[in-house]
Amino acid sequence: MIHVDITEAVLDPIAALSHCAADSHGAADLFIGRVRNLNDGRAVTAVSYDLHPVLCKNIFAEICREAQAQWGDHIHVYLVHRQGRLEVGEASVITAVSSPHRAHSFEACRYLIEQMKVRAPIWKQEHYVDGDSEWIKGHALRNPA
Amino acid sequence: MSMTREIPVRLFGAFRQGRPDSTLTVEVGADARVAELRQAMHSALDSDSARALLKASAFATDTEVLDDDQPVPEREISILPPVCGG
Repeated sequence: MIHVDITEAVLDPIAALSHCAADSHGAADLFIGRVRNLNDGRAVTAVSYDLHPVLCKNIFAEICREAQAQWGDHIHVYLVHRQGRLEVGEASVITAVSSPHRAHSFEACRYLIEQMKVRAPIWKQEHYVDGDSEWIKGHALRNPA
Repeated sequence: MSMTREIPVRLFGAFRQGRPDSTLTVEVGADARVAELRQAMHSALDSDSARALLKASAFATDTEVLDDDQPVPEREISILPPVCGG
């Protein structure tokens, strides 16, 4: 089972763990990414997330299918990201996986977050204590000549 | 007679900086490839920082990221700066 979404609502770890559960699954892993208060030495107050909703959900689903192809169709996979302005401490992303044994849950859950960070069309603008804001540099999706 | 197409390109991330609208419309040849669209965007952007960002950016539809040698599809096109989710 795969669940992906983009939302302006507060993320719910319980919903992730409810999705990532089955009688045959003895392991579940949950990753939560949060807005932190410091980046490159600058005090951060909030982050605004901009994203391409349709393509983003397509890429999320693609990443989840890849995880199932690698660790088994039977694993349950969950990937949800927030959009809009988030304050320090708020969760921006949740990935979760359940599987019969822990090794696959650990590995697949990490795969989801690592792939999401370099492939999903999401951009963040940090807001600083001094009132300044800056779009964060990221990973190029293509490298044109 | 050369035929052209107007392509409205959706802007995201830093491309939206200082822009009230989130679309930039450019003109390309009727059979243009993505590389020509990139060149048209380069001419249409109004700052060195935006043109530098363009070099590291990708064009995409709702379903796929496009290579520069692909034809410009008859679908909504977006320009995607380097990504940084999470």
